[in-house]
Amino acid sequence: MIELSNIVKAYQMGDVKVPVLNGIDLRIESGEFVAIMGPSGSGKTTLLNIIGCLDTIDQGEYKLSGKFVDTQDDAQMARVRSTHIGFVFQLFNLIPRISAERNVELPMIYANIPHQQRRERVRQALTKVGLTDRARHVPTQLSGGQQQRVAIARALVNHPDLLVADEPTGSLDSSTGREIMQMFRQLNEEGMTIIMVTHESDIAAYARRTVQLLDGRIQYDH
Amino acid sequence: MLNQFIFIVDRILQAFYALRDNRLRSVLSIIGIAVGIAAVMAVGTVSKGGSYLVFSELETFGLNSVWVFRDRRDKDPNRLVRQGSGLDNYDLLALQNCCDAIERLSPVVMSRGNRMVIQTSNRYSNAQLYGVNADYTDINNDKISQGRAFREYDIKRNRAVALIGPTVVKDLFGEYTSPVGQEIRIGLRRFTVIGVIEEKSRDFLASIGSAGGQDANNRILIPYKLFQQMRGDKSINFLHLKAITLDDAPRASDQVINFLERRNGKNYQYTSQTMSTYIKTAQRILDGVAMIGVVAASISLFVGGLGIMNIMSTSVLERTREIGLRKAIGASKNDILFQFLMEAIIISTIGGVIGLTLGSVVSMALASVTGFPLTPSLLVIVIALAVSIVVGIASGYLPARRASQLHPVEALRYE
Ligand SMILES: Nc1ncnc2c1ncn2[C@@H]1O[C@H](COP(=O)(O)OP(=O)(O)OP(=O)(O)O)[C@@H](O)[C@H]1O
Ligand SMILES: [Mg+2]
Repeated sequence: MIELSNIVKAYQMGDVKVPVLNGIDLRIESGEFVAIMGPSGSGKTTLLNIIGCLDTIDQGEYKLSGKFVDTQDDAQMARVRSTHIGFVFQLFNLIPRISAERNVELPMIYANIPHQQRRERVRQALTKVGLTDRARHVPTQLSGGQQQRVAIARALVNHPDLLVADEPTGSLDSSTGREIMQMFRQLNEEGMTIIMVTHESDIAAYARRTVQLLDGRIQYDH
Repeated sequence: MLNQFIFIVDRILQAFYALRDNRLRSVLSIIGIAVGIAAVMAVGTVSKGGSYLVFSELETFGLNSVWVFRDRRDKDPNRLVRQGSGLDNYDLLALQNCCDAIERLSPVVMSRGNRMVIQTSNRYSNAQLYGVNADYTDINNDKISQGRAFREYDIKRNRAVALIGPTVVKDLFGEYTSPVGQEIRIGLRRFTVIGVIEEKSRDFLASIGSAGGQDANNRILIPYKLFQQMRGDKSINFLHLKAITLDDAPRASDQVINFLERRNGKNYQYTSQTMSTYIKTAQRILDGVAMIGVVAASISLFVGGLGIMNIMSTSVLERTREIGLRKAIGASKNDILFQFLMEAIIISTIGGVIGLTLGSVVSMALASVTGFPLTPSLLVIVIALAVSIVVGIASGYLPARRASQLHPVEALRYE
C-alpha cells in the first residue's frame, strides 16, 4: 500500500541545510500495524508527515495505493488527506469551544459529504470510540483520554484507508494510553492500516511491526 | 447545484463559529464598520433629502420658467433715455406663436407707486397684486386648492375675479370661512374670489437668498387688462414664460429677447432670468455638503477596515495550529482562504446592517425634527451593503491569504 523509495528530506535553517531523512526505503502493506521508534530528532514525525501527505520530499518517490504522490501539488495532497488518511496527534488538536460532534464532523465538511450522511457518520464514529454521551461536550469539558478518543473518531469519520498517529499516547497516563492502544488493536483487527510513532516500547508492543530510525535512516525493521 | 449551495453554507458556518469564539474583537470591528456605514447612510439620505427639498421649492417657481424684462442698464449712453417698461399689449399680441421654444407665456402687471387698498368689510390685506393671463398659474406652477383657476373668458371679458394666496385668505377671511364666491375690494372695484392658491414653501431658498423677494403665499392674481385699466396705462412690467423643457429655457429666452429687440430695439434692450441659475447654486451647495460627508464616511470605513485587518491578522496568528489541523484533515488552500475571507465579510456585513439601522434611525429622527423627507432609499441600502462587503473583502484578503498559504506541518508545530 505504501512504497517509499530513497526518500531524502532536509530542512533549511538559515544558511545550513539540516538533513532529516537520508534515504528511507519502506514498504507497508494494507492491514499492517506499524510502530516507528527512535530517539528524539531522528526524523520520526517528519517521516510520518510525509506518509500522511502533509509534508514535501526533496528526493525519492512515494507511491500510495499504487499511485505516485506529487508532494509539491497542494491541491492533490489536500484531496488525498481528505479521502484516504486519518490523523491522530499527541496534543489531540481538537478545535476548542466547538463540541465533540462538531469536531468529528469537520473532515466531512471539507470532503463535501451531505448533511444527513454526516449526522449518521458522526454518531457511528462516536459510538465506535464509546463517547456517544459526550457528543455535546466541548474539549475543555473532556479528559485527555476522552479528547484523544474524539480525535480518533474524527480521524475515522471519512473512512480512511490509513490511520497515522504521532505519539497518540504521549500526553496520556499509562492506563489511558493502554485503552487507546486497545482501540487501535481493535481497529487494526477490523482491517485498518495503522502507522504510529512512539517513544515507549510497551506501546510499540501493540503494533505487529517496529521500524527503528536513527539519524534519518532505518536502523532496523522487524 | 443544491448540494453545492449547502456545502458553501457549511463552510460559511465554520466562519461563524470562529467569530463566536473571538467575540470581543469581532464586536470592535463591527462597531468600526457600523459607524462608517451609518456615515455613508447619513450622507446619502441628507443629500438626497436636501436635493428633494431644494427641487421641491424650485418647482414652486416652475422649473422651466423664464422672466423677460427691460434691461435698464442702457448700453448706448447717447441713446435717448426712455420711460416705461418697454413692454405693452401690442408686444404681447405680436409675441403669440413667435418662438418654438416657448410652451406658454403670460404678461405680469404690477402696482406702480401707491399700493391699492385691499379689503373686505372690516379686514385688510397687504398682499402683492399681479395682473396675469389664464396661463400664468400653470407657468408659475401654482396649484389651486379651492375653487378654480382663471379661464380664457375671465381674461378676455375683463371679469372682476381674483385668485388669492393662503396668507390673503387668513388676513381677509380668517381661518374658518370659505373664501370662494366671496367679495373683496381692490382699490375702488369689487372682485369675486374664484379660487385659492395652494401654500408654497420657500424656506430653504430664502435661506440661501434666492427666494425671489416676494412672499409666494401673500399674492392676489387678477386679469391683467383689468389691472391695466385700474392703473390707467397699457404697459406690462415683465413677461413670465415657460420653456418647453428645462434645457430649452436659454433658447426660449434668446428667442423672445431677439424678437423684442428687432421690434423695439431702437428704444429698448431686454434681458432675462432663468431658473437654471438658481438650480446651479443649490446644486453647488448640496454637492459641497455631500463631499464633506463622503470624506467623513470614507475615513470611518477605512478605520473600520483597518480594524478588521487587524483582528483577522491576530486571529490567523492565534489560530495557526487550528489552520494546520484543518489542513491535515483535508481542507484545501481555497477552503481556508474562503473561511477567513468569509469571517471578514461576515464582520463587515453585520457592521453594515447595524450601520444601516443606526443610519436609518438617525435620518428618521432628523426627518421628524427638520421635516425633511429623509427616508433611506433602497439604493442607499444596496450601496451601503455593497460597500461593507467590499471593505470586508479588501481588509480580509491579505490575512486570509496568509492563512491559506501556511504550511500544514509548520502550522501544527506552532506553539
Ligand atoms: N520546520 C523545521 N525546521 C527546521 N528543522 C526542523 C523542522 N522540523 C523538524 N526539524 C528538525 O528535523 C529533525 C527531525 O525532526 P522530527 O520532528 O521529525 O523528529 P522526531 O523524531 O519526531 O523527534 P521527537 O521524538 O522529538 O518528536 C530535528 O532535528 C528537527 O530539529
Ligand atoms: Mg516527533
